Amino acid sequence: MGKLRFRYGYAGKQLRISLDRKKCTTEEINPDVMRKYLGGAGYGARLLYDELPKGIDPLSKANKLVFVTSPLTDNSIPGGGSIMLCFKSPLTNAWGESRCGGDFGPDLKRSGFDALIIEDKSQDPVYIFIDDGEVSFKPAGHLVGMEVMKKIRAIRDELRDSKISVMCIGPAGENRVKIATVMFDQRAAGRCGTGAVMGSKNLIAVAVRGTRKINPAHPDKLNEAVKKAMKVLRESETAANFRKHGTTGDMVANDAAGDWPTKNWHSNSWGKAEKLYEQFYNNHLVKNHGCYRGCPIACGRIAEVKDGKYKTPVHEGSEYESLSAFTAFVFNDNLEAAIHATYLCNEYGIDTISAGGIIAFAMECYEHGIITGQDTGGLELSWGNPDALPALVKMISLRERIGDILAEGVKIAAEKLGRGAEEFAMHGKGLEAPAHDGRSGKVLALTYGTANRGMCHIHPLEGMVYDSGKFDWGLMKYGIPDPNTVERWDEKGKGRITKVLQDGLIVPDILNTCKFFMYAGLYVDHLAEILSALTGWDIGGRELLKVGERVFNLQRMFNIREGFSRKDDVIPERVKMKPAFGMYADEERCAIKDFDGMLEEYYEARGWNIKTGKPSSEKLRELGLEAE
Amino acid sequence: MEVKVLLYTVLKKYGEGKIRKDDRMNVPDRITLESLASLLDIPDKPGKVFLVNGSPRDKEYILQEGDEVKILSFIGGG
Repeated sequence: MGKLRFRYGYAGKQLRISLDRKKCTTEEINPDVMRKYLGGAGYGARLLYDELPKGIDPLSKANKLVFVTSPLTDNSIPGGGSIMLCFKSPLTNAWGESRCGGDFGPDLKRSGFDALIIEDKSQDPVYIFIDDGEVSFKPAGHLVGMEVMKKIRAIRDELRDSKISVMCIGPAGENRVKIATVMFDQRAAGRCGTGAVMGSKNLIAVAVRGTRKINPAHPDKLNEAVKKAMKVLRESETAANFRKHGTTGDMVANDAAGDWPTKNWHSNSWGKAEKLYEQFYNNHLVKNHGCYRGCPIACGRIAEVKDGKYKTPVHEGSEYESLSAFTAFVFNDNLEAAIHATYLCNEYGIDTISAGGIIAFAMECYEHGIITGQDTGGLELSWGNPDALPALVKMISLRERIGDILAEGVKIAAEKLGRGAEEFAMHGKGLEAPAHDGRSGKVLALTYGTANRGMCHIHPLEGMVYDSGKFDWGLMKYGIPDPNTVERWDEKGKGRITKVLQDGLIVPDILNTCKFFMYAGLYVDHLAEILSALTGWDIGGRELLKVGERVFNLQRMFNIREGFSRKDDVIPERVKMKPAFGMYADEERCAIKDFDGMLEEYYEARGWNIKTGKPSSEKLRELGLEAE
Repeated sequence: MEVKVLLYTVLKKYGEGKIRKDDRMNVPDRITLESLASLLDIPDKPGKVFLVNGSPRDKEYILQEGDEVKILSFIGGG
């Protein structure tokens, strides 16, 4: 391996930990493999495709939980503060990935590892401490049952380092709740049930400290590329708007655009976001906050409810998705209850989006008598009941009463409840739908149907932002038309656009950079320049898009191996129909008329079989995925 | 003619000096929503949403005397 060793950009090593044997192995990473997959969700997909047998139970010891960085994972790189967790999802039985902002990724890399692979299951609750490359296993029985921030403080006290990076599960992860998160302070690797996988391994937390420096191949070029990127960010109105309003500021425009799923998707608008956002901005926003040290955008929100029955401490949270899930989804206009519920989600360690979606589902089941007061212990689940929100968050996290069924996610819960509950389960491939509506623009509908991890808020978001937001992310030179020339309601042409958007907007997940930096003007060409300076490789934007396509197809092949096919590239029927009420109730163009037609145009653009949705052997060969 | 114009979050600044304190603004007769946005120097990108008297309207919509217009734009989708 001598000649193949990494010299620049990567630590060059991955740490493999077997929890049942408490054994650690340091492995060298093959640069040829890394050149094709780069890192993050790309390298994670390669590892899991190669190492996970088909059909394993995601909550068995056979599943693996992989933490992956990239060459750009560093506090000094714009958007470089994050970590990608990859696994087979217990919520969907499909490809699972979940990104988390914060210092954990940079610290893991400074500790000497590009990736951490967790295998098997510990007999007793344990946490792992990685101290500049040295690994120790710590008993964690005394931490079980603690809420997230208390747990993190206890670990930091034990390790006598108040700033050490810790990722941990809350009580929900310990209870294998399928929407459980892995938390970095009050930031979450939230989607697809990553916390349940960690909990199934009896792994309570991972703490990491690192002081090593990874050398760039071309320090001068890197300095120049970062300076150029910082200039783009300084001059970006989008970056300034993210700083001032956060993601939450988009509630108002999205409601008006018909992009705000309301009352479990009976409508795509409500007309109440204006008032709710004003209330948040004036009464509950404390300040903005960067999720990692040195973030030049700092879109995070520090919020509080000062007093009353929904009082919270000052905390980080109240993102667009979280507040939308606990207001519009559940038809609740009590903002304080919504803030309180999202705060509790972070403390118990469950995903705010899935939690809001599940509660909306439960409220509709309650309306139809499928769930009753007997199931809830007398808790009334009428639409918009603010008291039901924190109560159900706890019941789901602790698997109490109806919470035990709801903790399985809407797809499985609907199957268990029966009596027509399936109609109320709003999900894609088993993942609860987020707070953007496919009736606001047709690219979004298609990205929802075809996203590898299901109806998530990260990959499909580009659909809405292209169709309505008119963002192009510098991708016009790679084949998408100017969004200002494209009508959001049109269906024809959207398949071809979706393919390019997916290949381009997966790049931040491969490079572990914050996607919002791309929104602020840091395009694939900038990222390629930084990557080349770090690694010494000569990589351009076009090659990055090819890596994006390769990774998207490899994740697709992971799902196909698990039995997924065209039949699973669907969105709920309700999302295709004209809304039942709201500002767009009379807007015929909202309805999705020919989803299958869009899908077939998309398959053709992708080089996939029209009937099965499987990548053709020519396409796999073109992407260097022949062996699949 | 006179219309009421309300701008939100990221667009608020474009009303300064153009929209009166009572939210009213004099505009040419039969002005379209797209032309109103240009008159306010609101850039083409990011995209915009127009509500007229509470209902969504396309950019080609022609305004009438006394209409209430809300113009909204996106930060990054949320």
